Formats: sequence, structure tokens, C-alpha cells
Amino acid sequence: MKNFYRKVAFGLGPDDKTPSDPLTWAINQLKDIPEFSWKGKILSEKELRKYYRDYVYGDRKVLRKKFKNDKDGYKREKNKLRHATGQKFWWNLELCIRYSEALKSAKPVLAKLWYFWGNHFAISEKDFLAQYTTGAYQREIIRANMNQNFEKMAQEATIGWSMIHHLDNDQNVGPKSQEARWAREKGKTKGVNENHARELLELHTVSPDCGYTQEDIIQMAYIMSGWRPKWGKKRLETGDVHFNPDAHEPGTKIVLGKKYKNGRKSLSDAITDLVNHPSCRKFIAMKLCRYLITDNPTEEMMEPIIKAWEKSDGFLPEVHKAAIEVAFNYSDKYNKFQNPENWLLQMSKMADVDLIPSPSFMDLYKLGNKPIKDQRALERLMDELGQHPYLAKQPNGWSDISEDWMSPELLIRRLVYAREAYYRKSGKSQTPEYYEEMIKKNYDNPDEILKIIDQHKELVHKHVILFNLPETLKS
Amino acid sequence: MKISRRNFLKGSATTLFLAGFNFPVLANSEKKKNLVVIMLRGGMDGLCAVPIIGDKNFEKRRKDLILDETIKLNSDFALHPKLKNFYNLWQNNLGTIIHATNIPYTKRSHFDGQNLMETGGHIPYSIKTGWLGRGMKLADLKGDGLALALPMPLLLRGIPSNDNFYPSKKRLPRTELLQLLKSVYTDKSEHDLANMMEIIANRSMMNNGGTSMSRKNSSLAYKAGLELKKINGPRVAVFEVDGFDTHAAQGGVNGSHSDSLIEMDSIFKSLEKGLGSEIENTLVLTLTEFGRTIKQNGGRGTEHGYGSAIFMAGGLLKKSQVYSDWPGLKRKELFEGRDLNSTIDARSIYASAMSTVFDLDFKRIQKDVFWGENLQNLSDKLFKI
Repeated sequence: MKNFYRKVAFGLGPDDKTPSDPLTWAINQLKDIPEFSWKGKILSEKELRKYYRDYVYGDRKVLRKKFKNDKDGYKREKNKLRHATGQKFWWNLELCIRYSEALKSAKPVLAKLWYFWGNHFAISEKDFLAQYTTGAYQREIIRANMNQNFEKMAQEATIGWSMIHHLDNDQNVGPKSQEARWAREKGKTKGVNENHARELLELHTVSPDCGYTQEDIIQMAYIMSGWRPKWGKKRLETGDVHFNPDAHEPGTKIVLGKKYKNGRKSLSDAITDLVNHPSCRKFIAMKLCRYLITDNPTEEMMEPIIKAWEKSDGFLPEVHKAAIEVAFNYSDKYNKFQNPENWLLQMSKMADVDLIPSPSFMDLYKLGNKPIKDQRALERLMDELGQHPYLAKQPNGWSDISEDWMSPELLIRRLVYAREAYYRKSGKSQTPEYYEEMIKKNYDNPDEILKIIDQHKELVHKHVILFNLPETLKS
Repeated sequence: MKISRRNFLKGSATTLFLAGFNFPVLANSEKKKNLVVIMLRGGMDGLCAVPIIGDKNFEKRRKDLILDETIKLNSDFALHPKLKNFYNLWQNNLGTIIHATNIPYTKRSHFDGQNLMETGGHIPYSIKTGWLGRGMKLADLKGDGLALALPMPLLLRGIPSNDNFYPSKKRLPRTELLQLLKSVYTDKSEHDLANMMEIIANRSMMNNGGTSMSRKNSSLAYKAGLELKKINGPRVAVFEVDGFDTHAAQGGVNGSHSDSLIEMDSIFKSLEKGLGSEIENTLVLTLTEFGRTIKQNGGRGTEHGYGSAIFMAGGLLKKSQVYSDWPGLKRKELFEGRDLNSTIDARSIYASAMSTVFDLDFKRIQKDVFWGENLQNLSDKLFKI
């Protein structure tokens, strides 16, 4: 049962008392979205997007022209521009904010679910989104909507600047629209870009299980045509997202048999229908079970989550509650191989690893300077472990399938970074007594585990073994 | 453009009939033969990499994306001018292109498509092993696979104990500790973990200078070449190249599609350097989920399409050639009126390649790896037998 603390959160840390009722402990963390526990600077998505703007504008419109014939000068000035816009710093700050929720907040269960949703509506590696805005998108659009209906999260994520840019909807122009006509008059072609429409159906809402066709995707793309950032000479593609009727495909569209009238409102109407499609709740229930319980969820596991969704109209705190209950009920039967990020956070929490730089240290950073090495430690560590949360390779995010995380090279990372982490602990947690207590608190078979790790004398070796035992790798 | 649709043997009855009279390929145990697969993720544009010469339908539909100064390969096809290393192989009779080919997947989703290009099946996520892993299992090549990537690709699953290499700069814990973990994994019936720990404990790569290695595909390919060259080294290597999904600013010779093609080209070069004369006993081939639309889109990019091309390199090739049953680019010849058609099931190429490199009867691969589906044995047309 104690794996439940790791399954739905990151285990129990030195300051956590063992809850008398684990299920209530977990469920009580789901209702409200508290302030961030990070006490340092937190920038808004809009502010960060301005830095992004300054970078792309400065690079594309200024430096490339100015240094057309001077490759080295270009390289040098571009590096200055990177630092002038905080390109190497912001995402490290975002990781501090992100991991504080797992390690320092009173609601680690909420944090684990936040990571789930951030990955569900993933912004994968594209341009410099990760360096500037992905973290803020996950704070302002994903986390902020975790006490709302799924529909609200889906609506906001879909027209979020990051998502629109990430999935090329700024390139999506109705072929019969005014803008396409103007383009044709100039001898150019503008047309539909299906990318975002496809992912909205496939990854974010109904999934291919609902049986949509290529025609549904094209029709959805027509509905989405015209949703794009406000273009400006200086801001380029970084303006706020708005609906531009000139680029919108005229006429009625049909997606999954439902008709949508021409215009701005058709997108939100279509999203309302998608999130209320039975395939959508089934898909989300499956993904939640897969994330928390097992690679191959059964119908019985998914059923209570689907029911809670139907009863509450997709109200996320209720959906989460049902998912946590199911995870609790199956905690003795199933162990889920943890992805590198969850593994690192579990180790950090249970062994009291000083993972996150302090707010005052991060706030020492001055724009224009190169961040110092320790201010960039988290970005590098996540990359090394094979799972930087803002750099998923594809829009379907990081995999929730165990096998995708099983490889010698990834296991090597866990071995070497378990060792590194040991040396980032306070002296008071570097004692055998600390380990004994922590193991008793977090594992159902403490005696067996203690016997195994006692085969090595040095505490650092015991630490490395503990965090690579099957009991830890799977929870 | 001179090419027209050739008369290929069509129809399952004929193909199966002929397949029944295939002579089993004789095993040649003297030579160690290697297979390298480069996965091109995002949808490689076969018509950008290997454009057709003098086709008005092509030039009309993507006028902003036509490349300058392409390298002429034959009267019908040219090569992207940045693929210099591949062209070098081509000139030495070590390069082949299959054109107008794809896996039998037509729905244009990256995730479903990439899943199927690796499993070789028809229903996304329904098969949990890769065609290469199953082929290796048939050839009993346990422990002979090497992925130059951090997660283990699905393509290699189906046979245990594959290795992957994507260097870490840190030192491994002491051997006793690794052995202890291995025995714990074994005791707890965690066989996958035990196998991996065995690989880690035996890893030689990490210790002999692997510490300061770059993770660029070009340096990984050099390292892989050196490993493949060893008589007891791996026999299969898998690379990944991202970034082919150029919906916008695909550009011409210096555009974004070119960047990914150049990365692929650097793998050819470094592999050749690492392998030395063993390039003679190696076959390199590419894999992608789909090609791209012929027509450029509003953002001077291309959309997800269907037919693409396969690059092959190495001394196991019969000769340099563009092998194609060219479907044409007139609207009615296009798939759904928009994409280059696929006239060769890419799996026929992969099955023929495994038959040649693993010394396996084509029919066995067809049956055990690809569920007895109707594939053509192209070994005698493409490879030295």
C-alpha cells in the first residue's frame, strides 16, 4: 500500500507524517489551486513572450541582415542577444517553480497531476518555446484550470499562443477565405494547415478511437482557420492570439456529423462537442490510469473515472478524485515503472536531496548576463535523465509506456545521478538512521530492503542501490 | 521526364507463386554483415531529397520550393545538392534510392505513422514489437542491437538485451554494486532490468574514452561504425533524425528540410569512416512515416503526405540505382489527388534487406515478421546475393 504515496505523489519526505488515512490525504489535495510555493520571481506568460519577441525580432530582422557576410560576428552578437533576452535562464526558473510544487508544497498529488496535464496538452520541442514560454503556459493555462471543467482547459489550451504557434495554426488559412483570394491575386497560394486540427482530435480530445476521417480533420482545420497571433512588424508571430475573419474559411463545416456555422464561435462550439463526446472521457480516463497505474488499463479501472466525468460534466477535481481512488484500490496489484522526472522527484523527496536552487540564488540573475552554472543545473539534469519536461519530441508528449523508459543508457543515468544526488543532501539526512526511517515510512517490505542495501557499507552506495531497486523504479 | 509506369508483377497469386520458388539464401557464416537503420522522423519529403526532373506537374505545385543546382542521378531523378556524402557513395556504386514507396499507412498522423513504421503493422499501437526486433529474433541476434538514442526505439523491440549508446559524462558505480542490483533483479523476476544491468556491467564503450563524446549523430555514427566493425560487436544499429515535419519555411537548398537531410547525410559519412572496409559488408537504410504533399502550403512548407523515398547505402547493394515503379504526378495519379503514391510497400524493401543481411529465407521473414502479408522479394534486384 505504501507505494500509493509514490504512485500518486512522490513518497513521504522527512517532514511528512504518515497519514492515518492515505486516500483522504491524497483526495484533500485536489480541490483548490494554491499559490505557488516558489517564493522567488515568477514572470507572466506575456512578459516571457516579450523576451521571445525581442529574440526572434533581433535575430531575424536585425542580426541576420547586419551580419550577412560575417558569420563569426553574427554568432557573437546572437549569443549576446540570447543572454539579453534570458534565453538560458527562464526555463531553469520555470523548472524551479515546477519542482517546488512536488517537493515543497502541501499538495504533491496535485503537482503529479499537473505534470500529467502539461504532458497531455504538450508543447513539444519547437523553435524556442521551451526556453521562453512553455513553463508559463503550463502554469497559466494548465495548472490554473485544474479546478475547472476539462472543457475550459481544452478551450484555453487550444487558443493559447504556445499551442497555436506550436501546431502551426498561424499558417492555417481557409482556401476560400478573403486572405487566400488576396494571395491568389498576387500569384501566391495560401491554404489549409491541418496540423493543429488533427492533434486537437487525436491527442487532446476524442482520440482516433472515435473513428474520425481525414475529411473531419480538414473540416476541423477550416473551423480553426483564422485563429492566429496578431501579426506586427516588431512583434512578428508573438502577438496575442485572435480570430481573423479574413483568413477564416466561409461556409458551414461538418465534423463528426455535427454542423458548424461560419465564424468565430464555431471553434468553441466544436470543442464543446468534442469534449462531450464519449470517446473523449474514455480516452482521458485511459490516459490517467496509464499514467498512475499500469500501461494497459482495464475497463474496470476506467469505469469509475468515466462515471465521475459524466456525473460532474468533466469537472476536473471530481475526475481526479475518481482517478486517485482507482489508483488506491489497485495500488497493491499494480506497480507502474516511473518516468525519469517522477523518479528524480521521488528520490529528492524521500532522501531529502537539495534539488532546487534557492529563490534568492535564482533571483541574483541579471538579464544580459550568462547564467552561472548552478542556475542552469536543473535544465542540464533533466536533459541528462532523458526527460526535459519542455522538450518532448512530438506533440503527443513524453510516453507513459514503461518500455519506452527501459534502456541501458537510461538506467545508467539513474545510477550515476542517484550518486550525484547523494552529495546534494544535508548532513542530517546522510545517516543510516535517516535511511532506516525513510524506508520504513515509504516501503511495504522495509526489512527485505534494508537487508539488501546492508550488503554495501558506505551510505552513498546504499542510496544508489535503494533508488534503483525494483520497488523504487516501479511504484 | 522519361519514366513511365513499368509493368510490375501484380496480383497476389503471381507474387506468392514466385515466392514459393525462391531458393533459400545460403548462410554465409564467414562474414559478419551489418544492418543500420536511420529513422527519419516527421515525414521525409522524398521529392525534396530526390526530385523528379522536368515534370511540370511538380514544378507548378511547389514553385517556391524547387531546388537549384541539384545533382543529376539519371535522366529522371536528381539528388538534393547538400547530400554530398550520399552522392559520393553513389558514385562508388554504394548508393541506392527507392522512390515512390511507403509503409501501408495513409492517414497522415505522425504518431500513428511512426508507430507503424516501427512495428510494420496496420493498426497503430496494436503491435508491441518492432519489425527489426522480430527479424533479429528470427535470426537469433540476441544482444546484437545498438540504438544510438536515449530511449530504446520500438523498432528494436522483440528481442531482449539490446544496447543503446548516448554518452553520459559521469562515471558508473562500482561493478560490485551493479552485480548486486543484477542479482536482486533476477531474484525478483525483473528480467528486463536484469538484462539491462548485464549490458551495463559489461559495457566497454563507456570506459574506453567514451566520456567526452559528443551526442551529435555524426559522432555517434563514427562510434557505431567502429563497434559494427568489430567481429564480436553489434550487427544492427539504429539512428534517429528529427525535424522533417516542415509545415512552414521548408525552404530551398538552405531551408529547414535541408537541415535534417544534411544530418542524415552526416551519418552516412561518419559510418563509412568508422566502418572502413567493413562498409562492404554493411547495409544502411532509411525509414520514415510518410512523405509530404506535392503542393506547397500557405507557409511555404508541405503537409503530411503518403509516398516518400528510401535511401540505401553500403557494399551489400547490387549497384547504384533509383529503383522505382514511378506512379506519375498528374492529379489522377496522385494518392487522394494530392500525394505521391506508393507503388512499393516499404516493408518489401525491409524484408528483402533483412533476408540479405541476416541470411534468412525471405519467406520466413514474410511469414514470421510480417504475418505472411503480400510482400515482394526484391533481394536479387537490390542486393548482392
